[in-house]
Amino acid sequence: MATKIPENLKYTKEHEWGLVEGNTLTVGITDFAQSSLGDIVFVELPEIGSELKKDDPFGVVESIKSVSDLYSPVAGKIIEINESISDAPEKINEAAYESWLIKIEMSDSKDADSLLGAADYKSLCE
Amino acid sequence: MKTKLYDEHIKLGAKIVDFAGWEMPISYSSLKEEILATRNSCGVFDVSHMGEFFVEGKDAVKFVDFLIPNNFNVPNGKAVYSPLLNKDGKIIDDLIAYKLSESRVMICVNASNIKKDWDWIYSIHEEENFDCTIVDRSEDFSLLAIQGPKSEEILKDVLDDFSKMNYYEVLENNDFIIARTGYTGEDGFEVFGNHEFIVNLWQKLMKANVLPCGLGARDTLRVEVCYPLYGHELNEELSPLDCALKWTIKSESKYVGQKALESYKSLHKLIKLSLDKGIPREGYKILSQGEVVGEVTSGTMSPNLGKGIAIGRVLREKTEGVKQYDIEIRGKTYEANYHTKPFIIGGHK
Repeated sequence: MATKIPENLKYTKEHEWGLVEGNTLTVGITDFAQSSLGDIVFVELPEIGSELKKDDPFGVVESIKSVSDLYSPVAGKIIEINESISDAPEKINEAAYESWLIKIEMSDSKDADSLLGAADYKSLCE
Repeated sequence: MKTKLYDEHIKLGAKIVDFAGWEMPISYSSLKEEILATRNSCGVFDVSHMGEFFVEGKDAVKFVDFLIPNNFNVPNGKAVYSPLLNKDGKIIDDLIAYKLSESRVMICVNASNIKKDWDWIYSIHEEENFDCTIVDRSEDFSLLAIQGPKSEEILKDVLDDFSKMNYYEVLENNDFIIARTGYTGEDGFEVFGNHEFIVNLWQKLMKANVLPCGLGARDTLRVEVCYPLYGHELNEELSPLDCALKWTIKSESKYVGQKALESYKSLHKLIKLSLDKGIPREGYKILSQGEVVGEVTSGTMSPNLGKGIAIGRVLREKTEGVKQYDIEIRGKTYEANYHTKPFIIGGHK
């Protein structure tokens, strides 16, 4: 099955996706990431209001056998977390791009420009 | 190294990992499905990487009885689980010894310990005067574990030569050795045979729609029923008295490590914990009243229970009568549930 990589999103080397809306970045993990991890059984998310630097670990995604850290793609403040994902982490396997994890208010919205585009990310997954 | 089924695994789309130098399937489709299939129906595991030693001759049974602390003075066709001890009473490995006849025993050992075990058994054989030969035939054998409540039904159809047998019994046929043993807690069988026979059996099982399962499922299944794994619950620093294996010390005659065990003071014990939130992992600290008293030796999410489960090693002197424990995960402590029984009682017959 081919990995889904929507054109409208930004990506990181850590296999996270980001949706830019003004100075808000919505973050999740990619289809490639969920497929490599297998059945996701646990997600730990940060507190709302946490301040993050770029590449700070902000949470974890666990499969039955593995623990993976999540890293902030940009600097900023957590303004929303997706609590429904904590209750049903398997949704990430079902629809990775609908299963957002956090929303970050970016300290500098230009940071989003440094993220990967769909084409660059695609070559990373090959 | 690769087992003879490697190409089959690749064809099935398995994720491959290195395990003790072997390129083994960790999972095929979904780890969860593999775990549930084995508990509820049937799954097949390629465990050809494991080692097989044969002891043959007049004193074969006596030699094995001397080699292991468990009692091997058993009827023909019986299998016996035991740790293998050094002279300090510490655990070199754990194994199953199969009494194929009065003069023929097969010993199945962990893949990661084949050389170490062989060297040890060889040295004991050299040192003592038992009238038997020992040979490492690990390279001659492939091994499949067919596990789950439907195993018997399926094997009856697939094997031309299948006779009824009880739990922990073994039978040697012309083409293969079959035992009602396993590492999942479920009813199931292990079939040892030459490579061609086993590849053929694998293909028949695939045609019969038996789900191929990888080492990931095998590990979670064994944690659910609290079977120890060498390198996790068992190691050369520990004696059977530290690892809930006192029940295996049953020999009625002399055995290797006996003297040391008689005066051994156990400092550790294993406990079983689960979490309502979070998943315990190997190496996480176990606390009692804020003090670190041990660590998790094996931890996983249990898809059968829907929560995180752990086997942990704790200091006896800090935990006498203690039933309240916390597990530390990434700097936070989580209250654990204390279990006196395995998380799941398998359906083995």
